Amino acid sequence: MTAGVTEKVKKRLTKFLLSLIIVSIAVLLIVYNLKDNIVYFYSPSDLIEENLNRGQIIRLGGLVKTDSVFNESESIFHFKVSDGNVHINVKYEGILPNLFAEDKGVVVEGIYMNDGRFIANKVLAKHDENYMPPEVIQTLKDSGNWQGQ
Amino acid sequence: MSTTIYYISNILIIICLVSSLLQTRYLFNINKFNNLSVSFLATIQLFSILIAFGLLIYLFLISDFSFELVYLNSHSEKPLIYKFSGVWGNHEGSMLLWILILVLFNFFFSLFSFKRKIFQNLTVSVQSLMIFGFTLFILFLSNPFKLSENNYADGIGLNPILQDPLLAIHPPVLYLGYVGFSLVFSFAIAGLICKEIDKTWASIIKPWVFIAWSFLTAGIALGSFWAYYELGWGGYWFWDPVENASLMPWLAATALIHCVVVLEKKNTMQSWTIVLAIMTFSLSLIGTFLVRSGILNSVHTFASDPGRGLFILIFLFTVLFGSFFLFAIQSEKINKPDLSSLVSRSTGIQINNWLLMTILSIVFIGTMYPLATDLFFNQSLTVGPQYYAITITPLIIIFIFFMIFSPRLGWKESKLINLIMSMRFILISVLSLSFIISLYFDLFNLSEITIIFLSLILVFTSLKSGFSLSGKNTIIKSNLGQNIAHAGFGIFMIAVVSNAVYSKEKIYDAKVGDSLELSGYVFNFKKIEQVEGANFNSLKAYIDLEKEEKTLDEFTPEIRFYSDPPTITSETSIIHKFFSDIYVVMNVPQNQQSVSVRLHIKPFMNILWFGVIMIILGGLITAFLKRTRIDEV
Repeated sequence: MTAGVTEKVKKRLTKFLLSLIIVSIAVLLIVYNLKDNIVYFYSPSDLIEENLNRGQIIRLGGLVKTDSVFNESESIFHFKVSDGNVHINVKYEGILPNLFAEDKGVVVEGIYMNDGRFIANKVLAKHDENYMPPEVIQTLKDSGNWQGQ
Repeated sequence: MSTTIYYISNILIIICLVSSLLQTRYLFNINKFNNLSVSFLATIQLFSILIAFGLLIYLFLISDFSFELVYLNSHSEKPLIYKFSGVWGNHEGSMLLWILILVLFNFFFSLFSFKRKIFQNLTVSVQSLMIFGFTLFILFLSNPFKLSENNYADGIGLNPILQDPLLAIHPPVLYLGYVGFSLVFSFAIAGLICKEIDKTWASIIKPWVFIAWSFLTAGIALGSFWAYYELGWGGYWFWDPVENASLMPWLAATALIHCVVVLEKKNTMQSWTIVLAIMTFSLSLIGTFLVRSGILNSVHTFASDPGRGLFILIFLFTVLFGSFFLFAIQSEKINKPDLSSLVSRSTGIQINNWLLMTILSIVFIGTMYPLATDLFFNQSLTVGPQYYAITITPLIIIFIFFMIFSPRLGWKESKLINLIMSMRFILISVLSLSFIISLYFDLFNLSEITIIFLSLILVFTSLKSGFSLSGKNTIIKSNLGQNIAHAGFGIFMIAVVSNAVYSKEKIYDAKVGDSLELSGYVFNFKKIEQVEGANFNSLKAYIDLEKEEKTLDEFTPEIRFYSDPPTITSETSIIHKFFSDIYVVMNVPQNQQSVSVRLHIKPFMNILWFGVIMIILGGLITAFLKRTRIDEV
């Protein structure tokens, strides 16, 4: 009887320890990797007003400023992302998505440089022409330039 | 006409509401059963919803814009198949589909006659309680049959990226999976009330669990395949919240199907099975809630229509708290001790269950964290795909390791040392080979090569055990499905890793007459022209694929311009070769002279889908093999 009980306790203990190991590995993995892979979203005003950690990958959203798109070469583009009050100069090398256009909402991902330029490695755009990224809507509302419903 | 349909359809929904409410009365009066009325009420539910759903399809097909839903989601010039699929391409219609599948499962289950009558009737009652809840929901908060206040000449139309044959069948298949687990949830609750969770219980529910799981797997795979060729980014999985929402119930369900097998064989792991059954269904609800409430696009949309979201949340919390309360009361009475030794198959399965739960938490945190920060701290952020790749990879290695070993351990007792000794040559050679290859080839890192080799072992050992069992004698053994699915998973993992390592991509600004090049292939840009489609205009390019001066095939990527609603989509053109896909996608011209052309070589895509098909097939075989055995007994 006692042998059976100790056997049972031993088994439970082993299983408990095994699960504890798995759980702690998981927690470590999650905490370490989540921190490194989070991409924060900012509006142009945020970038200018706050002293942000430069050199980290972030997202910037707003409207592509009218008459600001300029091709340096066939695949290098410069444009300004604005929230109606202030704007940030963006440089991007690659293909612009189908729905990229002046005066439309855009979200770019990349690095905010010390000289105030934003070097984008991704330009995100959704498929619907009338679609406005929700972050951009919020950005425009915050800067008082939202004209939609 | 429209008003007649309006009244008929709403009456049908009310009939379903009343009959499901009537059916729940068994919950309060366990000993008074009338079998005839059980299947009779289930039949009424089925027919009322079936006719209502048929009416909705009819309204979409004839483009009756006096109904708001048709106006918002359809257009008279849309091709027939998309008028059809537009029925469930929106919130209200998809909720009606959800109820249709709920009553369908209820109906089929009530048709069978099991020896455990009380259990069966209780299951039907719990299921009816859910049908009642959802019917109430669509009647008051999400009614698909709502007349519009204005007279519209034409509809707004369905989002063009949803106008795809594959996406027409993706939601129904996925819902068959999600809602299939509602029945499994009802099994768990009915079993808890009866306090009869044992081998017989497991053998009754097993085919249903496997069918639901197979549909869920197929639904996710269809969505992934659609994203692969429609979105034009060259990938098949983006760790997008919408995808994660369907992956989470799948992970719980995968743990669940293994628990059911253990329970059927060893009469143990009762609590785990119940917890997983509740968890799988709750995650299915969360998945539907996340995708359909619009909360993923913005947490603020939730506030604009709080009724719906609130209902699903209340429903979810009722399900969670109700079932866990019941579980807490009854769990002492249902648990049977685990008599097998520590080194046994059930321990292996338990370890892999923990791993699945860990992966589930990783996905859950990655999906929910951005929602939480946005809601509570007003801080928008995204979690990059690297988070998932880095955290899940080490877990997958241990997972595949136990997938190889657990089936080779006996159910009762095994000596670990014997097993290790019997596989020592394979193990040593694989580990050293992986190490050497990772040292000398930059292409693979250690974890990638380890996954590939472990997966290879998994494929071989599974196939061997599957075939030797079915080969020797003509009787098909019940683990055939398991072996096919496990081998399929191995093939899938090999394809996933090799695809990630060997994929190539190149972007060109191309003009007509240009020759582009990628990995030994030459792409000759012949011409570009305007083509008129069914409900769109398109720019179509013709690009020849050449290798060693010979023309092999022709690509015809397109850019489509839709007007209802105004949208531009890029249609990919893919040539499926045995070992790799060659994938061409074109973007809107930046200037008049050239278009952007993106070329992808995606190796092992066919093999990847083949692995997924094996996994689904394995699940279905297990479901139906078991069924024939029940019938024989």
